[in-house]
Amino acid sequence: MERFGAGYLEERKLVPRWPQPIPAIVALVLTLAIFYASWWIFQDPRGWMRMYTPYVGYMYTRWWLIMLIWMVYIFNYWPFKRSWLQKSHPLLKGAVLTLISVAILYVLIKGFFETLLGNFGLAYFNPDQLMRLPGITEFFAIEYAALACLMFAAIASWLSPAWVVACEEVPWQGMKQPGKGISILVMTFFLSTLVYFMTMHSHMGILYYPWQYFTSIAPPYWERFADTVSGNFHVSWIMCCTVTVWMVETIWERFPFKLIKTGWRRRIVAFFGIIAIAFALHFFLYFAQELTWGGAIRGTRRDAAPDWRWLHVGEMAVFWLVPALFLNFYCNNWPKRFSLPVNVLVRTVITIAAAALLYIFYYATSHVFLGTQKGFSHPQQFPMIPTIWLINIWLAHHWFMDNWPAWKMVPKTADEMAEEQALEQAQIDEIRWSPSLGWGVGAGVACGILIYFVAVGVLPWVYDTITIIR
Amino acid sequence: MSSDDKGKISRRDFFRGAAMGALGGTALAMGLYSYSPWRKAHLPKIERKMADIGVCKNIKVTNISETSWFSNADLMGDIKGAGGLLVNQYSYNWPPFGDGTGLGKGSYDKGIAKIKHLLPHDLDEAWAITEKLSMHPENAGGFACLIELEDMQGRQHKYLLDSGWSFKWMDECFQREGIDQMLRDREIEALFISHEHFDHFWGIPVTYKYDPTITTYVPDGFYPEGIKFLKDSGHKGQVVTVKPGLNPVVPGFASFVFAIPIICRVYGEQSLYFNVKDLGLVSVTGCCHQSIIQFAETAYQEIQYEKDQLYGVYGGLHISPFEDWDPKYDDLVLSLGKYGFQKIGCNHCTGILCAKKFVEAGYPVVKGTARHRSKETVYLGNGDQIGFGIEV
Repeated sequence: MERFGAGYLEERKLVPRWPQPIPAIVALVLTLAIFYASWWIFQDPRGWMRMYTPYVGYMYTRWWLIMLIWMVYIFNYWPFKRSWLQKSHPLLKGAVLTLISVAILYVLIKGFFETLLGNFGLAYFNPDQLMRLPGITEFFAIEYAALACLMFAAIASWLSPAWVVACEEVPWQGMKQPGKGISILVMTFFLSTLVYFMTMHSHMGILYYPWQYFTSIAPPYWERFADTVSGNFHVSWIMCCTVTVWMVETIWERFPFKLIKTGWRRRIVAFFGIIAIAFALHFFLYFAQELTWGGAIRGTRRDAAPDWRWLHVGEMAVFWLVPALFLNFYCNNWPKRFSLPVNVLVRTVITIAAAALLYIFYYATSHVFLGTQKGFSHPQQFPMIPTIWLINIWLAHHWFMDNWPAWKMVPKTADEMAEEQALEQAQIDEIRWSPSLGWGVGAGVACGILIYFVAVGVLPWVYDTITIIR
Repeated sequence: MSSDDKGKISRRDFFRGAAMGALGGTALAMGLYSYSPWRKAHLPKIERKMADIGVCKNIKVTNISETSWFSNADLMGDIKGAGGLLVNQYSYNWPPFGDGTGLGKGSYDKGIAKIKHLLPHDLDEAWAITEKLSMHPENAGGFACLIELEDMQGRQHKYLLDSGWSFKWMDECFQREGIDQMLRDREIEALFISHEHFDHFWGIPVTYKYDPTITTYVPDGFYPEGIKFLKDSGHKGQVVTVKPGLNPVVPGFASFVFAIPIICRVYGEQSLYFNVKDLGLVSVTGCCHQSIIQFAETAYQEIQYEKDQLYGVYGGLHISPFEDWDPKYDDLVLSLGKYGFQKIGCNHCTGILCAKKFVEAGYPVVKGTARHRSKETVYLGNGDQIGFGIEV
């Protein structure tokens, strides 16, 4: 029977052509070069197409991420056959699959959002409809429509992978493609639409004068809790959900949820556990800003404004995702020598430290080489654009090109597959309840709480000590 | 068999548990504590510095021009065509730096080369040249205002805030309000540039045409093009680069520089504080990109003022300059009331839509007369005046 791409990622073995760290360095240099060249062509305000207006470039960046997730995680490379995926040169595969992802992206934005939804549902998805508003300029009509689309994308970028990672594709896990992909797509799109209406529609509703009281909840229900009427409050926790899903999938190897043996319980705990972890991150990163920049002041602009700070929470979370994906894609999820929880802890610490360094490096230098403006809180500047753009390139490189040229793809043998599964099961089995484990958990919780309060105490001092922007 | 079976602690199990606990404990603390009311105990207490900037008797502000451009559609069309709000303003090919190469392809050096020899004395000719080489030269207006301060001894001090954009338009406005003669007579003590944006700064040769020696205060953060333009405009006086923070000028008057990034690749904004006897603090701003609430909060933290009252505002508040909107602007509209301003003389980049929302919220917005190409009476227009401690 002809096989398609289902299981391709699990069944491929990426063999480095040279000892580490050479492959990781080669991959980093190559992908950064592609990042910079494509940034100049598509996004850079000094470059060719200058899509960083900012919302137009932002929208395409976020939806492209989802196209990659759809093609690989939801449709498992369908309709491409396994033999083509295994035998084609990575450059050819990369070019074909990337072009297809961009084509679907274009059809989705222009066809679904602007034409279908924008003409027959919600006018604000179509710039031409918005142009009928008195006083609006074409620029802002396009920006508003792009904003609505990208807010939808933020939700889809969480729910699309979450259905695979947390819910394990149920109830369609045994179904063939494209039936499985279509089912998951419809389900996650439906959920995204629900979440969109409950989190972002009111933001769009008060974008117009007078407030659209009769089509959206105005002022929005989160105003008092979030200290703002802006939907950035939701962008924040939703982006944290996206980041957490990928943490769980990559450097956490679906830990701790995979310790739960009962399938339905594991899936429910994983889905809502990801949301709970995301909210913890969401609140902490907001608090971190209060600790360094002082309390937020509602109604002000820039780094003191609650709406910007919520947005910046999402931005900071994506800074964490970048090193986590690099560690997973190009460093073989190092380290692997310890037990699963210790590996996860070490990777978490490494990626947090790397994220902090990346954050400092980005704000200290990005205005020099990305054509952006220096400073943290430029109202039209979104570090999520370059960071997600880089992530997109890594996804295309890792999923479509098998990390070429520093790695070579060879299919795993049945023995290798079995050995891998046995190893994973052994890792899970060795974590079983015992008094020692219990003492360890107790001591760990106490240490975790202590670490938290030490971080809270040290953060203002660290921020005062380091001059990021000169 | 684990060592627990023998009644001993298993080191491996303990570390496994400790790793799980550390991750869980940290996440738990993050989730439960970080947005709780207890977190506020960790935030730095606001200690008012109460810097004494002195006091003045009154100030009067004359709106020389608040119409920075005349067509939002043309301005935003150019910005869209050039690549959006992060593009370097000197590359737009707007006047006076047009070089004939088209939208988004210009540069300061190529543009200034066409007109430098004519600055600052032959502005008509310079503008005639740049009109032919630039995008939408007819759309250029500018922001500038005259501030007249009476000190406690009854002496008058005059200052300019900004010098607009179009040479042609600003020269007309200067002549209409008699600024040209005041500059010739050296009555105006200094020019304060709020920030480097085209509509506040690029008309600086018009000021120098009448007084090339005037002391000019610019906020720290100007790009090399802006610094060169000060010289290329024929300025022969002192340029003071004001560092972020408070800069007392004369008793009752201080400027404050905010180190902030601004659209079109600009950095830093200077706004003005006036402490008016028996009334309170008056804020005069060019665009106030830092937001009027940040400006008010900074005043509260930094300086002492009469009756501890934030009394008045004049200038652009940068809320909906292109008649665009964002829910965060509603945060500002909803919050401004608690600061207790008694007299709001907003215009320019405040946006007409925002001024309407202020009026609906019951704020004391001073109406204008909609003359000299200002569009609506909802706020102070070109040629209008506002007084703080003095009737106009």
